[in-house]
Amino acid sequence: MILRNGLCALLLFLLPATALPQSMTLCRAKPDLLELGSPLEVARKAIATKKQLRILALGSSTTAGYGVSNPAYAYPAQLKMGLDKALPGVDVDVVNRGIGGQDVEEMVERMRADMQGNTPSLVVWQTGTNAAIRQMPLAKFERWLRRGMDIGKSLGADFVLMNLQYVPAVVAVEDKLAYEKVMAAVAKEYGAGLFRRFDIMRGWYEDGMPYAQFVQLDGLHLNDFGQKCVGKLLTRAILNSLNGP
Amino acid sequence: MAAPPIASGRDIRLDLFRGLALWFIFLDHIPTNIVSWLTVRNYGFSDATEIFVFISGYTAVIAYARMMLREGWLRAAARVYRRVWQLYVAHILLFVAFSAQVAWVSLASDSKDLIEEMEMLGFGENPYRAILEAALLRFRPVNLDVLPLYIVLLAAFPFVLPALLRRPWVVVGASLALYVATCHFNWNLPAYPENKVWFFNPMAWQVVFYVGAALAVLAPQLKRLDRFRLPISVLAVLYLVFAATITLSWHYNPLERLIPAWIGRMIYPIDKTNIDILRFVHFLAVAWLVRLAVPVDAPFLKWRVFGPLRRCGEQSLLIFCLGTFLALSGQVIVSHFEESLLSQVLVSVGGIVIMCAAAYAAAWFKGGGPVAPGRKPSPSAEATS
Repeated sequence: MILRNGLCALLLFLLPATALPQSMTLCRAKPDLLELGSPLEVARKAIATKKQLRILALGSSTTAGYGVSNPAYAYPAQLKMGLDKALPGVDVDVVNRGIGGQDVEEMVERMRADMQGNTPSLVVWQTGTNAAIRQMPLAKFERWLRRGMDIGKSLGADFVLMNLQYVPAVVAVEDKLAYEKVMAAVAKEYGAGLFRRFDIMRGWYEDGMPYAQFVQLDGLHLNDFGQKCVGKLLTRAILNSLNGP
Repeated sequence: MAAPPIASGRDIRLDLFRGLALWFIFLDHIPTNIVSWLTVRNYGFSDATEIFVFISGYTAVIAYARMMLREGWLRAAARVYRRVWQLYVAHILLFVAFSAQVAWVSLASDSKDLIEEMEMLGFGENPYRAILEAALLRFRPVNLDVLPLYIVLLAAFPFVLPALLRRPWVVVGASLALYVATCHFNWNLPAYPENKVWFFNPMAWQVVFYVGAALAVLAPQLKRLDRFRLPISVLAVLYLVFAATITLSWHYNPLERLIPAWIGRMIYPIDKTNIDILRFVHFLAVAWLVRLAVPVDAPFLKWRVFGPLRRCGEQSLLIFCLGTFLALSGQVIVSHFEESLLSQVLVSVGGIVIMCAAAYAAAWFKGGGPVAPGRKPSPSAEATS
């Protein structure tokens, strides 16, 4: 009797995992969310003239690939693989400069050193999540973001800002949207692209995809699926921009 | 100083639950494995790592405390370091076997994606540097994080052991203080490639190890807590229900929507690198209830169905290494060759069968032959601590 009840309970636990519809494991985003809003001219020129695309992935733990089961799943590696496939004959290089736990000001402080020597044509700057979780004052966040864009632009690279991730730790923050807005405004002002990770991931959740599908058990970091999918979508968004008008 | 009574004899609960932890670690290391729904991490904050590290601390006391009291500190310390050496050798061997498997899969594979993935798992851009860093324990490919943690913890153990036996509470206090300071100042050990840190931060995870170790010393006094058995158990159960609700809510959006935002603000992120306090308390609640539910002399512990688990727990180092190696094979099979639920189940069951077979073979091998003269009745706890 106990055994039978135990088995039933076990099945009940296992059932939902199997019952997750196939569509919930698909990586997707609404097409308009993949518009970066910047033509990425420096990158285009580098591809056209030098057959070369150097990308710097600047960010914190997501960029570093914290907790993924293979570094190849982290979005910068996925970006490299995706662009290699889509741009045959172009020498694509993605340098990963993600350092776990870092916030916008720490990244700005190392930005010059990270970019100099071998200047990239495109910088993907993933930030905002740590600021929101730690409740960095918005004015300070904006000031440092602008400072970073000033430095980056003066070194002559295109920028794509990757905004917050939609995960329990961020969703619980009351004014997360304010950080998102700051990033959107700064991107627009500087002619940088904005990769709307927050809205894309919110789309997953609202379509019924459970957090466990794309978030690690700490409620903060992207898991294998989340990283791979963000990498694929970012690749598509960058290609859209490069091939656009 | 009166020698504290250290539990003697083999506590087979330790083997059983360590074996279980090893199975869980194997299952959890195969990504998107449906069988990993059977492991603890889906029903609460803590997972198999806590079980493994806690039991390691507990058995370290059982294995070395009496040795120290009988034969002196130096001898016990030397024995601990012999064990540390064994762990180190096992880790390096595992690293080589793991890397060889990565190399073999990429050489044998036609799929460019798989080759690229495997290359990133292996030595990275600078193989010679990676080998050096691996020897220094600073470079640890994925899933090879647990043994280095254990090596560091055990290497410090002889220096804490005397204090642990005399003043266990002081050690617990110091351990907690180090844990709090580590979390607060964000300390961690350096790793390779640069800017990486130890996924299991030894300065934080030591708290699990030393609480386990202190409880082995304090085991007789633990009975005093039994006066408060009911209230503690009620609190533990309430906490487990809370943790299970939160954890399951990550799988069910309707449940997730019921969790108020202020709870989310309080609990997230539930850090693993620095073992979040929610995880640790969750483990302690589980341990408390297991202690009540499974007394040391519970007859069912000796049931034959649990034989394979106990065997795996007894040969924990071997089984851990084997499990890590097999988890990589499983990952490749499940994600590249046969993406189906059936293959996940087969790979999981197959891996556990291999682990059990290896555990029985090792036990048979060790048990064989006449007992060497002069050899003491095996302090078998040491062999597996």
